[in-house]
Amino acid sequence: MTLLRTEALSMHFAGLVAVDAVDLAVEAGSIHALIGPNGAGKTTMFNLISGLMLPTSGRISLDGADITALPAHAHAGMGMARSFQNIRVFASMTVLENVLTGLHSAITAGIAATLLRLPMFRRQEQDAVTRARAALNLVGLAARADDRAAALAYGDQRRLEIARAIAGHPRLLLLDEPAAGMNPAEGAALSDLIRRIRDAGTTVLLVEHDMGFVMRLADRVTVLNFGRRIADGPPANIRRDPSVITAYLGAKVAAKLNAA
Amino acid sequence: MPIWLDDFLWTYQNVVYALGVNGLLGLSMYVVLSVGQLSLGQAAFMGLGAYSSALLTLKLHLPFAIVLPASTIAPVLFALAIGTPTLRLSGVYLAIATIGLGEVLRAAYLNIDYVGGALGISGIPERAGVVSIYSLLILALLGFWLIGRSAIGRAMEAIREDEVAAATMGVNVARYRLGALLTSAVLAGLAGALSAHVSSFIGPNEYGFEPAVTILSYALLGGIGSPFAPVIGAWILTLLPEMLRGFADLRLVFNGVIIVLAVLYLPNGILPWTMRRRAA
Repeated sequence: MTLLRTEALSMHFAGLVAVDAVDLAVEAGSIHALIGPNGAGKTTMFNLISGLMLPTSGRISLDGADITALPAHAHAGMGMARSFQNIRVFASMTVLENVLTGLHSAITAGIAATLLRLPMFRRQEQDAVTRARAALNLVGLAARADDRAAALAYGDQRRLEIARAIAGHPRLLLLDEPAAGMNPAEGAALSDLIRRIRDAGTTVLLVEHDMGFVMRLADRVTVLNFGRRIADGPPANIRRDPSVITAYLGAKVAAKLNAA
Repeated sequence: MPIWLDDFLWTYQNVVYALGVNGLLGLSMYVVLSVGQLSLGQAAFMGLGAYSSALLTLKLHLPFAIVLPASTIAPVLFALAIGTPTLRLSGVYLAIATIGLGEVLRAAYLNIDYVGGALGISGIPERAGVVSIYSLLILALLGFWLIGRSAIGRAMEAIREDEVAAATMGVNVARYRLGALLTSAVLAGLAGALSAHVSSFIGPNEYGFEPAVTILSYALLGGIGSPFAPVIGAWILTLLPEMLRGFADLRLVFNGVIIVLAVLYLPNGILPWTMRRRAA
């Protein structure tokens, strides 16, 4: 079953075509990687899928429902969550409060229920705290729950972003360069974490530069270059695809590799 | 009431009223800043509350129990008109639009004879007092305390920190901002009605740019880590001029210096303590 699908998705910034008629199909229950050289349009794809930008043309659907023009804040309620390439934790809040914010759309208590501290409000807050602590446990930050997010080290802030994104058990999780700035050991731990998230029922779409990381982790890889999709398939095929090698290494080196 | 308290209130009654009213104004600033917006319309909203309530009392002879809640209507309508277009944008559009609102209203009060023109409105009966002012202040503080420690409070803090990330969490940023502006208009309108009904006179120049900046400085000095901070800021800036009476015209200079010093050396205000954002 296809969970996320984009059809002929395009995004133009004035004269620049950042995303050019890209078809993408992400299977439910898979780990799908979106790769490509710098400027290939990966992050723009993420911004389109998560509703931060409105595409110039094309269509995006989640589980069959058209979400092309859905405003950003409505995506969480549809079961979509994301992390950012440049970390965007809420620095002044505690680690636990950050993750609780990720559960915003799971809390329906309105102003009256909040002011009156109705049983419904108390129950939802307690449920949220339980789920937030579970997410922190999963990423290994449970001990830091009451620290300010600003006090966390870089790698821990990345894990906090993931905890915040998965707390609500999204159907689809978008991870924008989750392994950036991590050493090999941290990268391996992150791979484990992403597999566990997938095994818990969340489909993962990730953008990543680290080829080794992607090839070991992804079930399927889509390659973009200059906004166009140039390859799509299992990692083993992508690794041998001549157009991918050319895109990454340039035509000269690719020709030399072929000759050798 | 014990005699000493009665004496004290009699002597310092204007200061006691001002502390309560300015506390409400500090909170009306706080709620807008809490969602990362800058408004300079607090004085304008206060003026709308003051003028509309004074007219309801003097021309329609309505009881204060009706006048007080009704004083929020005009500020809320103006906040809706200004907030709906500007809050969809990020940046300083709200601040610019609210400065404009203050000046337009000042010119309107000056030129409309029905509201007294340059002479303002005098002879407003003293219908408000310590009880009405301070019970509203306490209710507002309690309300912000309860809201702050909930998903709504977390969403507001999230918007202030990073509106893109907040939206991704499912927070409807535009709705929250408009809600905050309307709440601030309600509080400022109430503060205007209360102050009009303890001071007996209101004039067009009481609600211009200068008081707008003073109200902003309440929150700048106090901070916005909790609802108590802007109230403390308001109290300091209300009491200080009383103690500096000798400086007369230089009092405004003091306000300016305090704002500059607060921004430079106390970026989180005099009460930097941040409240918890959860109930459990």
